[in-house]
Amino acid sequence: MSAFLTKRLLYTVVILLAASLLIFSLYAWTPGDFISGNIKLTPERKAELREIYGLNKPVLERYATWMKHAFHGDLGYSLAQQKPVLTLFNEYIWNSFLLAAVSTFFTWLIAVVIGVVAAYKQYSWFDTLVMVVIFGAMSLPSFFIGLFLIKILAVDWKLLPPGGMLTTGSNATGIAYFREVVRHMTLPVVVMTLLGIGSLTRYIRGNLIDVLKQDYIRTARAKGLKERKVLFKHALRNALLPAITLVGFELPSLFGGSLIIEKIFNWPGIGQLYMQSFGLRDYPLLMGFTVLIAILTVIGTLLSDILYRVADPRVRLQ
Amino acid sequence: MKKSIAALSAILILGLLLSACSSGSSDSSAPSGGASESASSPSAASAASPSSSPSASPSDVIPASDLSKLPGAAQQRTDTIIVALTDPSGAFTPYFHQSGYDGNVSSLLYTPLVTVDDKGVPIPALAESWDVSPDNLTYTFHLRKDLKFSDGSPVTADDVAFTWTILHDKAYDGDSLVSTLGVKGGEAYKEGKAASIEGIKVIDPLTVSVTLEKPNAAALLTLGSDVLSKAYYGKDYKFGQLDYIKKLHEKPVGTGPYKLEKFIPGQEVRFVANEYYYKGKPKTEHFLYKTSEGDTWQFLETGEIDFASFSATQENIDKLKSLGFVNILPYTPSTYGYLQVNLEHEAFKDKKVRQAIAYGLDRQSIYVDANQGAGAVANIPSSPISWAYTEEGINPYKYDPDKAKALLDEAGWTVGKDGIREKDGKQLTIHYLGTKKKDTDIFIAVAKENFEALGIKFEPEVFADFNSLVSKVEGGDYDLVSFSTPLLTDPSDGLLQFVDGEIKGYDNPKFKELFDQGLATNDIEARKNIYKQIFQLLNDELPVIFTSYKKTVYAYNGRIENLSVSPFNGISPSLPDWSLK
Repeated sequence: MSAFLTKRLLYTVVILLAASLLIFSLYAWTPGDFISGNIKLTPERKAELREIYGLNKPVLERYATWMKHAFHGDLGYSLAQQKPVLTLFNEYIWNSFLLAAVSTFFTWLIAVVIGVVAAYKQYSWFDTLVMVVIFGAMSLPSFFIGLFLIKILAVDWKLLPPGGMLTTGSNATGIAYFREVVRHMTLPVVVMTLLGIGSLTRYIRGNLIDVLKQDYIRTARAKGLKERKVLFKHALRNALLPAITLVGFELPSLFGGSLIIEKIFNWPGIGQLYMQSFGLRDYPLLMGFTVLIAILTVIGTLLSDILYRVADPRVRLQ
Repeated sequence: MKKSIAALSAILILGLLLSACSSGSSDSSAPSGGASESASSPSAASAASPSSSPSASPSDVIPASDLSKLPGAAQQRTDTIIVALTDPSGAFTPYFHQSGYDGNVSSLLYTPLVTVDDKGVPIPALAESWDVSPDNLTYTFHLRKDLKFSDGSPVTADDVAFTWTILHDKAYDGDSLVSTLGVKGGEAYKEGKAASIEGIKVIDPLTVSVTLEKPNAAALLTLGSDVLSKAYYGKDYKFGQLDYIKKLHEKPVGTGPYKLEKFIPGQEVRFVANEYYYKGKPKTEHFLYKTSEGDTWQFLETGEIDFASFSATQENIDKLKSLGFVNILPYTPSTYGYLQVNLEHEAFKDKKVRQAIAYGLDRQSIYVDANQGAGAVANIPSSPISWAYTEEGINPYKYDPDKAKALLDEAGWTVGKDGIREKDGKQLTIHYLGTKKKDTDIFIAVAKENFEALGIKFEPEVFADFNSLVSKVEGGDYDLVSFSTPLLTDPSDGLLQFVDGEIKGYDNPKFKELFDQGLATNDIEARKNIYKQIFQLLNDELPVIFTSYKKTVYAYNGRIENLSVSPFNGISPSLPDWSLK
């Protein structure tokens, strides 16, 4: 196990180095830079500013400078926001995380329950109905369902707030603050859950149907185990194994923010910030964020490998 | 090893996806410094002072028809006004912010020395008066007595001198034009050869003067901008080192009608009335900018905001009217739109070809009709609200395909075999660049038809974001590209691009002479006359093809009284007077 970990960590470092270089070059080669979009500047001043920001230097040199600072834990200042990149992450990422974590939790909970029932009662009316509804939800564009719910629930019926994270101007603290946030996040969480639930339910249903046909399930039934025990202890556990891979990939998306949802619901998350920064070519912020996501992806895969080992004694890590 | 490869490819795919998503999205360009898109927010200019005659006079306002429809959320607010603002970032120090939205915030936190009225004519603000020496080189500003910063400390001439000085620092990375005015000794300071700037003199605590090397009528407004407290912003200043100011961005000390109470990133900027404001404490105690990246309709409809701006399309106006509780105020921002022509390409060096494009392009359909009236056709580089605007001797270039064809014939471009015009064996093609948005789609659809009718081959190329478009333009690989100016105050602002090398290939000594003349005097009547000549000249020469003016409407809660919007300074001049019924 420890040999495995050492090896994997070593790979991780190499992968991250290569990835960061690649990402840095991609951003640097995207046409236009931070200066070019500012139409108020004269060509002379543009040249001066490129000098100040070091944008006129070769990409490799810029990368080396960035890397040197990054090793010291300094991701630099956002050019557009004039704040340290890490401060910005701290201000925005947790808002995105909150949405993602809650909706991921509900997605999994609902998907597992529905998936199990649908698989167990394969081809029943329930199975068919659920699949139709789920496919319907999956195929709705998020902006449409989002705006539709805002129109109905917020504007017409005034049941829920139309967007944002807090009531404008609110000074609520403690329980009142918590309630306010919950009210504001209800709509985005519902939409995110609706959109995510479909594929996961199909996945769990499919796996479970396969597992239920296995010999060991027949054996379990033959030796007189209760149906519930067969289903949850023997079948579901095996069916969920491949889903562990998905857990690893969920990690970056927990912190990555959701551009469309955040925009529609005016949620102060990192997805919106990233999008703007891309439009502006705010290199330090783009780099910092993408590398963070890369690190989370690598950690996520490592995590799912280890979880595999925990969940399935047959898997050996070498 | 297999796993690692999988992980690596996951990262690669992720990276590509991220960039793909970004470039795939529409209207993503919110260029820094308040470029084309920033007109959808209140003015990004940096000034604040009441103006005597609101340009959008009360008679233009469509009043609310039924205030009883006012949502409960708005009714409950008695001492707070909320305005939507796209996305302030938190850099609230004037001169140092990169985003026009931060400019909107700082325009409430700071008051300039000199501001402009609704025609763009300079009027006093923090400076009670100013003198210009007969040679137009020395400007002397006289501050009002007993001015105070929001922390209670006095505003003095030293603060003004300090502000101008740090803008000359070599590390200064903002977009203030102070260092380009040619202040005497400014260059020496920037290069580190002098400890102070020779041309800036503090005469007494209320008087400060500055001497330029060359007359420049735009200097009054450029110099007469916001004042930074030397005691606060200059405490840690060392030449060549301005990073410390970043730490003060969210703790501003200013001279504006409001003080910053709290900034919640991505959500709100909260203000509280400044008791030290030189015109007295504002009438409404609290003011709030609510960040709204996306649509603002839902917030206006539910009463979460009191004021928002919309494009002046008939559809929007009808919808706003149907709300019943908002007043609707029409407004023309001080910008103009134009098509930049690549003057380095042989075909477009010929004035006749450019005029043919102006005649042959149905600008009325593109910019007015297709926009449901939310625009007007432009023919000169000045907004209709400026004091310099004129239509005298200006050719309106009414849509006239026959005239366009005649001009092309005259220029030697004759129709070839396949219906495309040719000259010296080369076809007349227009490679057009635009950013992905609705306006561009409309332009391409109409222009394609128009140009084909003229026998010009039209090749549009659409970019996902503004920066990539600009870099393509900088590379010179285009014939025609759509742009809009930032908010313009002085008439020379809209002309700068023809002299500073931004529009390559335009070199007309007559224009340069007039441009210098326009800046050499501070007499408005004399300047009006010069700018009229300039506009007539450019209207004839068409170094760029002038296209359109935008039209927007502001919709605000009918309970707000005394509201007006300055075309140059947005809501900040009238904000201290806003009150709730």
